[in-house]
Amino acid sequence: MSESVIGVSRPRVDAPDKVTGATRFAADGHVHGLLHARLVLSTEAHALLQRVERDAALAMPGVVAVLTADDLPLASAGSDRTTEPLARTEVVFAGQPVALVVAESEAAAEDAVEAVVVEYEPLPAVVDVEDAMLPGRALARVLEEDAGGGDLESIHAGVDKGQEDGEEEQLSGNVLDTIHRNAGDATALLEASDVVVSGRFRTPWVYQAYIEPQVATAWLEPNETLVVSTSTQGSFVTQRELARAFGLPLEQIRVIAEPLGGAFGGKLALMEPLAAGAALALRRPVRVVLTRAEDFQATNPASAQVTHLKIGARKDGTLTAITARMIVDRGSNAGWGVEGITSLLVAGPYRWEAHDLRGYGVQTNRFTFGAYRGPGAPTAAFALETLMDELAIELEADPLELRLRNAVVENDVGVSGNPFPRMGAVEVLERIREHPLWQARDSLPDNEGVGFAAGYWPGGNEPAAAVCRVNQDGTMTIVTSAVDMSGVNTGFAAIAAETFGLSPDQIRVVAADTATGPYSGASGGSKVTYTVGAAVLKAAEAAREKLLKAASEELEIAPADLEVIDGVVRAVGSPDHSITVAEISAKALRFGGRYEPIEGHGGSAQTRGAPSVAAHLAHVRVDKETGEVTLLAHVIAQDVGRALNPALVEGQMRGGAAQGMGWALYEELVHDESGQLLTGSFLDYAIPLAERVPDIDTLIVEVPAPDGPFGAKGIGEAPVVAAAPAIANAVAAAVGIRLRELPMTAPRVWAALEESRA
Amino acid sequence: MIPAAVRHVRASTLDEALDALADPEAKALAGGQSLLPVMKLRIVRPSVLVDIGRLELGGFHLRDNELRLGALTTWDTLESASELERPSFAAIAECAAEIGDLQVRNRGTLGGSLAHADPASDMPAVVLALGAELVLRAADGERTLAAEEFFVGPFTTALAPGELITEVVFPLVAGSGSAYVKVEHPASGFALAGTAAQVTRDGKQRVAVTGVGSHPFLLPADADPFDALADAEIYGDRFAPVEYRRHLAGVVARRALDRAQERMERCDE
Amino acid sequence: MSATRRFELIVNGEPHSLEVEPRTLLVHALRDGLGLTGTHVGCDTSQCGACTVLVGGRAVKSCTMLAVQAEDAEVTTIEGFAPDGVQHPIQRAFVEQHGLQCGFCTPGMILTASDLLSREPDPDDATIRRALKGNFCRCTGYQSIVDSVRAAAATLREEAAA
Repeated sequence: MSESVIGVSRPRVDAPDKVTGATRFAADGHVHGLLHARLVLSTEAHALLQRVERDAALAMPGVVAVLTADDLPLASAGSDRTTEPLARTEVVFAGQPVALVVAESEAAAEDAVEAVVVEYEPLPAVVDVEDAMLPGRALARVLEEDAGGGDLESIHAGVDKGQEDGEEEQLSGNVLDTIHRNAGDATALLEASDVVVSGRFRTPWVYQAYIEPQVATAWLEPNETLVVSTSTQGSFVTQRELARAFGLPLEQIRVIAEPLGGAFGGKLALMEPLAAGAALALRRPVRVVLTRAEDFQATNPASAQVTHLKIGARKDGTLTAITARMIVDRGSNAGWGVEGITSLLVAGPYRWEAHDLRGYGVQTNRFTFGAYRGPGAPTAAFALETLMDELAIELEADPLELRLRNAVVENDVGVSGNPFPRMGAVEVLERIREHPLWQARDSLPDNEGVGFAAGYWPGGNEPAAAVCRVNQDGTMTIVTSAVDMSGVNTGFAAIAAETFGLSPDQIRVVAADTATGPYSGASGGSKVTYTVGAAVLKAAEAAREKLLKAASEELEIAPADLEVIDGVVRAVGSPDHSITVAEISAKALRFGGRYEPIEGHGGSAQTRGAPSVAAHLAHVRVDKETGEVTLLAHVIAQDVGRALNPALVEGQMRGGAAQGMGWALYEELVHDESGQLLTGSFLDYAIPLAERVPDIDTLIVEVPAPDGPFGAKGIGEAPVVAAAPAIANAVAAAVGIRLRELPMTAPRVWAALEESRA
Repeated sequence: MIPAAVRHVRASTLDEALDALADPEAKALAGGQSLLPVMKLRIVRPSVLVDIGRLELGGFHLRDNELRLGALTTWDTLESASELERPSFAAIAECAAEIGDLQVRNRGTLGGSLAHADPASDMPAVVLALGAELVLRAADGERTLAAEEFFVGPFTTALAPGELITEVVFPLVAGSGSAYVKVEHPASGFALAGTAAQVTRDGKQRVAVTGVGSHPFLLPADADPFDALADAEIYGDRFAPVEYRRHLAGVVARRALDRAQERMERCDE
Repeated sequence: MSATRRFELIVNGEPHSLEVEPRTLLVHALRDGLGLTGTHVGCDTSQCGACTVLVGGRAVKSCTMLAVQAEDAEVTTIEGFAPDGVQHPIQRAFVEQHGLQCGFCTPGMILTASDLLSREPDPDDATIRRALKGNFCRCTGYQSIVDSVRAAAATLREEAAA
């Protein structure tokens, strides 16, 4: 190729199939003899399970089984969704799966669910997360079980927990984990600061709302291999979880990740234990497809949080100290929490002279929480970026200049104790400062305002491997086990094309499964391009080496004097002396061929992080009479390392920003005082619709990640982090009120306006 | 997700439909955009659906003094009908355009929605404010009922068992202006508060409100909306408490009146 | 009451005979009965639009229609939208303008766009966004979808003028 493909906007490789309906999502495949399952969900938030009466259901037409925990061949005790996919003795949230009705059709299963009668002995429901921490409070989980948790935590940017010292405070058994990061004397430094601002912030439970409900299908092969075909972010992690659940050796479990209809963190080993357990128990194929109502109640949305935050600065705008107390409502997730990451990210991409940050993971009788795009980050940024704005006002400083003054640069030590690698905080802020919307912020009509906020996501690392295989016709097939959640496959094709010397049109990317594929971690944590992409690059290099070795023999020219352009190997400086990749491959891939197959295997083990910074501008108009906030325009600037495919990068930026709009104005899962979910459908839970999302201007900033393929890094999560506080700051600019609770619904905005008028 | 088991009969004449609807467990199925969602949630479980979707009950008749709309007229038809572009009937098209979404408007019908009587649905406010009458047919005859007598409670109307709405008749009030304004719930799209207003040449004002009470209702004629709403029984919930809804109803009522007034002034009938 | 009904309808230009319980939703009849899995189920409250098909050329949520209501009707699913495997301009626009990520909402988006453009050949962005109210997307933030519909509209207008 005469031109690089890196940095070119090309359509996604899977787009043609998706626009014709040819893509087979996980609920689409036909399986002979398939049975269908529906869930019986607990109606109590906290109870002892007394009895499941199944006779009436079993008598209904088409019903094959009504399974409870005892019917599943679970190998270990445990109280996470893997080891306890159906409640054993203690029910810990309303919506927890208690039984599985399996029938010949979905309709028959749905009919029979109504006939299953469950008897509970109710226990006190723990729903107030701050109250639940106090010593002597009723426990959300009363029976001792091994908390487990598997390795799901590590997938989403595992961070160390700082010092763990729970001795200072008296806390109840509902507090499962405490984090403490502490350096310098933050309290004293705050007292000595010229300006201090503080606040208590609340964010709700928020649902990932992927448009494809969760689904998993499981069956046994004649040789007893358990095959699970599923909508998941990670086939290998699911395999491990299933092995843990059922005590099966890894090689007896094959997990196939089907094309993903959105996940955003929520699809990790949640439904597979149910489908697999049923298939193992019944020895017939079983598909669990959640209805949207089941998905609202029984999956794993993002935690609610309460954040007490205090920050200080000197008159000259230098940040001094930060103290935080962050209470994370884990619901019934005993295995892992985001208190570590959220108490890290609350410091933002800024330098502090001292910090004292505490995180608490508290159990309540609500869903097992799960990860949602940048877990713990939007909540932390809402608190910090609101206070940074207030600090700017107190200092009579420009809010953006205040950020710039304190933005981290390479080697600044963060509150984790580790130095920040090269990242583009300053570059992003400088870029957004030039935007016309920011320039116009002081000359807007009444009731309009522009707000600014910045945030970052640390990214993640996990070793990965990939294969690049050249086919007989000279095309290439890339094989990974990475689930394409954000368009990574298209990025892989560009990486391999650029590295090897083929046009991306000559490259196919296939997703392998746990039986056939090179290793890949789960997609999530903003790491796939950075890690699997790096493996693809190495695999392409290895394949190229083989190609050149063979070509060198054919052309009788040293490999160092050869180049590969658009599928042709030729002598540098003398293009007529050439041979095509197809010709070489054909010589290799035949009986008696004299060259090794042109294939490369590559691996990566990134050890350095590659954080991504994103800054937002939000332009809003507030209707003071109704409290409605209209989003007029939005801008996002993000450091992406290198945009392998700008169109796909922009898609991630816009998609993340739009989800941030949902955090800001619309999204909230609400429980009543007895732990019942009140917002269990899209009739009550509002996600942003096309009419409500404005045009989103995207500014791509490239500060190459030192270890990333062509400088690229994971960018999927950073865009959501600071969108909501930008909107909150815009509302403040527009009508002078600040809400410390999300979402900023019309009734809440109106109430705040009324209060300010009083 | 999947309705409970049900029988389905397609009526080829209105009389056939009315006969079938004599069964108290039967429900009429028109576009299905109100009925099927509640059947899918299994809140409603008729034993038989009497499918009236292909009866000749659509259609428009604009005469000198009235507009007659067939019960099976879809929102899509109302949204784009040029006959409704006059200020006196502007509320009808304006309201239809805000119901549901494009797909729902292709199938949802005037009669189906009115009969379903969701207290947060939109069109009841318009039929009330414009003083419409509903033509109701049963096996034993036909009667006409004023809209004010039709909506009696949540999902409850004055329809007798076995009765169908066949037409909605709007009087043509020459020179009047009308409007429909709502603030919708961001999730469901239903009215948090929706009001229809009619302003006539001789200064009379009619305002009807939906979404805030047990059923849509008319405010006292010519009353200031905020005053009138101060005494009304308003529902609230966690999302939108009573005080907010009461205030919101007043705001949209005033906006609807202002818009109706403006249309009336521009009108040259 | 599990008695089934047999009836005929036209799907993607081909006559079909279906035998289903009356309560069977059109979306399930298409997916399970006819194997047309390009029409997706995304919710159970008739909101998300992933199930959108064309009935008589008009966009309809196939989850909010009983299969029996489609008797003798002409139904077009995403599989039948491109004649003979050639991409329809709307499909091509979605590919070229990057109007999709996970693709789950995409068939519904394309068919709703088809209805819109059949009636309004030159819609502005606000009109497009409004027309997509009944089609949820969680991945894209909608802008690239709006770009796709706008581009498709331009192509269709050119083709009509030619």
